Amino acid sequence: MEFSTVVFYFFAAILLLSGLRVITAKNPVHAALALVLAFFTAAGLWILLEAEFLAITLVLVYVGAVMVLFLFVVMMLDINIEQLRQQFWDYLPIAALVAGLMIVQMVLVLGGETFGLTAPAPKPADYSNTRELGLLLYTEYVYPFELAAVILLVAIVAAIALTLRRRQGVKWVDPAVQVKVKREGRVRLVNLKPQKPELKAEEDEA
Amino acid sequence: MLENYFPILLFILVGLAIGIGPMLLGWVLAPNRPDAEKLSPYECGFEAFEDARMKFDVRYYLVAILFILFDLEIAFLFPWAVVLEQIGAFGFWSMVVFLAILVVGFVYEWMKGALEWE
Amino acid sequence: MTFPMPDLLPAAPEILVLVMACVVLMFEAYAVRGQADRSEIVARPRVAGYVLTLLTLLAAAGLTAFTANGVSATTFSGMFVDDAMADLLKLMTYLAGIAAAIYSRQYLADRALMRGEYFALLLFAVLGMMVMISASHLLTLYLGLELLSLALYAMVALRRDDAVAVEAAMKYFVLGALASGLLLYGMSMLYGLTGTLELNKMAATLAGGVDNPVVLAFGLVFVVAGLGFKLGTAPFHMWVPDIYHGAPTAVTLFIGSAPKLAAFAFVIRLLADGLQPAHADWQQMLAVMAVLSLAIGNLAAIMQTNIKRMLAYSTIAHMGFLLLGVMTGELNGYGAALYYVVTYVIMSLGAFGLILHLARAGFEADALDDYKGLNSRAPWLAALMAILMLSMAGLPPFVGFYAKLTVLQALVGAGWIWLAVVAVLFSLVGAYYYLRVVKLMYFDTPHSHEPVLATPGDARLLLSVNGLGVLLLGLLPQPLLALCLEAMRLTYG
Repeated sequence: MEFSTVVFYFFAAILLLSGLRVITAKNPVHAALALVLAFFTAAGLWILLEAEFLAITLVLVYVGAVMVLFLFVVMMLDINIEQLRQQFWDYLPIAALVAGLMIVQMVLVLGGETFGLTAPAPKPADYSNTRELGLLLYTEYVYPFELAAVILLVAIVAAIALTLRRRQGVKWVDPAVQVKVKREGRVRLVNLKPQKPELKAEEDEA
Repeated sequence: MLENYFPILLFILVGLAIGIGPMLLGWVLAPNRPDAEKLSPYECGFEAFEDARMKFDVRYYLVAILFILFDLEIAFLFPWAVVLEQIGAFGFWSMVVFLAILVVGFVYEWMKGALEWE
Repeated sequence: MTFPMPDLLPAAPEILVLVMACVVLMFEAYAVRGQADRSEIVARPRVAGYVLTLLTLLAAAGLTAFTANGVSATTFSGMFVDDAMADLLKLMTYLAGIAAAIYSRQYLADRALMRGEYFALLLFAVLGMMVMISASHLLTLYLGLELLSLALYAMVALRRDDAVAVEAAMKYFVLGALASGLLLYGMSMLYGLTGTLELNKMAATLAGGVDNPVVLAFGLVFVVAGLGFKLGTAPFHMWVPDIYHGAPTAVTLFIGSAPKLAAFAFVIRLLADGLQPAHADWQQMLAVMAVLSLAIGNLAAIMQTNIKRMLAYSTIAHMGFLLLGVMTGELNGYGAALYYVVTYVIMSLGAFGLILHLARAGFEADALDDYKGLNSRAPWLAALMAILMLSMAGLPPFVGFYAKLTVLQALVGAGWIWLAVVAVLFSLVGAYYYLRVVKLMYFDTPHSHEPVLATPGDARLLLSVNGLGVLLLGLLPQPLLALCLEAMRLTYG
């Protein structure tokens, strides 16, 4: 057995175990953390496939950003895990059926020989997957690339339009306005004439 | 190509060993005599009166999702930086257009006040 | 390495729409910043978004019509194609966008939805549809679909304090994501099998024969299932009634019109273009989906008490009819399906436009009972609604009749007589619930006698044009039909 095969099984085993943890963990935060581990090991597998850029992106975007969002959402929602679990057994038969079908399909389809593919020869040490991607992405694939930007823009608009709320009655000062304050805006010199207190008025009040 | 990553694999293994080793040692060597009182949560001497986890404000979600979007944008910059010399002016301007589209989103976000924390 | 500049002219309408969508967005951003008290809505700058949207769509229509010459032009390394079918569908898409904007203005203003975001999202959705219509590559097909879907999810949820709308958006989002997953899974199998994402090359590779038909069959199943979700055909129709019902009617109008054109383009590009050699395989799947859609759509619509829900089920049935045209796998059938979808969009715009027209602040006019005795309250609107309903039912002399007839002719011509019989039978069932609306309007006594509120003149005028257009296109079906057939012939002949 080759060394890379050993590494593959090492990562694959951790990936499967952490994947199982994601769906069996009682605490949703633990599930999210197990998902981080799953992403990490999947990145390892992608490196084994010589798709290094994808692996780096997976760690950078999914582990770095998406999981943060997941954790926020998990904490934002008050999930009652026990209530969710009650339905688990109701859905089990149909879920098992779907999963079974998918396994059959995977076995039928995903054998490498089904596609008439053989493992490609390992790339030389100076091969850069990132460079190969870059050479295509910004020239041949410029149209989908710009479309990706548009999709991100729509996502920004949607996220803001749907979740941004102005709070009413918040005490809040714009620092820019604060800095711009001049003496004239705050202090007013009033020329008061000295006066004798009117005794009569005071007596009336008393 | 894979041999380039061997140091990283070693690093992961050493990291794992350093992380897991002391925990294992502690688990094996340390005395462990739990009882109900020791395991119960406490809060500075009085009974715990709420869960340690509390709900987050939805505003964190907005910040996180905006972070993801711009994080993705940055992911596109890496291959571009690697091949900038080879792809010429066209490749340069294709990224400029990409960034311009996202700058529209950024300006919108800024003007809308999504970056303010009032 | 120097990369040659791609020809931008075929994509000029797309670029225009993109730039203008950004401009609308900037207008909104600065309008909000300019306000003294941000909680109050200033109407004037927001109307700018509406006006800009109309101008953009008109200008894009001008550009598309100006550059339409019936010749297929590809650009962006063969990922973008501008052909006769694309031009026709894009023109219809702009038309639907314009009608959607005009019909919904009053409705949006009544519900504080008259925001720059709404119109920016509408333009982005139009852009997504244009990308789908002009896609000749699986990647652009998928990206266009995602762009459209993302914009639509947000539009459904834009009225975010309305629990029903938010629930509808949730369902739409989750099922849409599932459908995208199925589609991508199928596409990945097709890619693995043929080694290309370009539709032309994929067809060429498949025509040369494949080593493993099992992979092709699985890929097709997933792709067709994904398409079924996006089209809203049975058995993947569950989301349609909930989303049509839950979304604000203005958004329902939009979802029920233009995206059908894009979905049609998606089906044609993927199945008739890329997977034509596998025609025998996908034909049966489409036949099953079509029959199920006709059955479920027409039967379930009878039981509805909400007109938006009823029209949702009617959409399912209409999409089934559309698939009948596509499944023939012949040029005639594609042309008939194109004619069908174009006329359906016109009818759908009118019907939802009328619902919008009757709606007021705090009143949605979406229960069937609200239409009781409409004739005595607003005879002209009742007449328009009657025209639209009879046309949808497929009665002569309205355009819906010719649309159904053309599809049936193509079906019989391809030798699918039993399917044609089934389609006719279910159309007869379907006629019942359309006629019920007519009966409610003309023969029942109204709940209230208050007059229908005066709505803006432009919407009223467009509604009249729309309703009479359905009649006129029915009396003179030939020009539009010839145009559709010719567009198909130029594209795939």
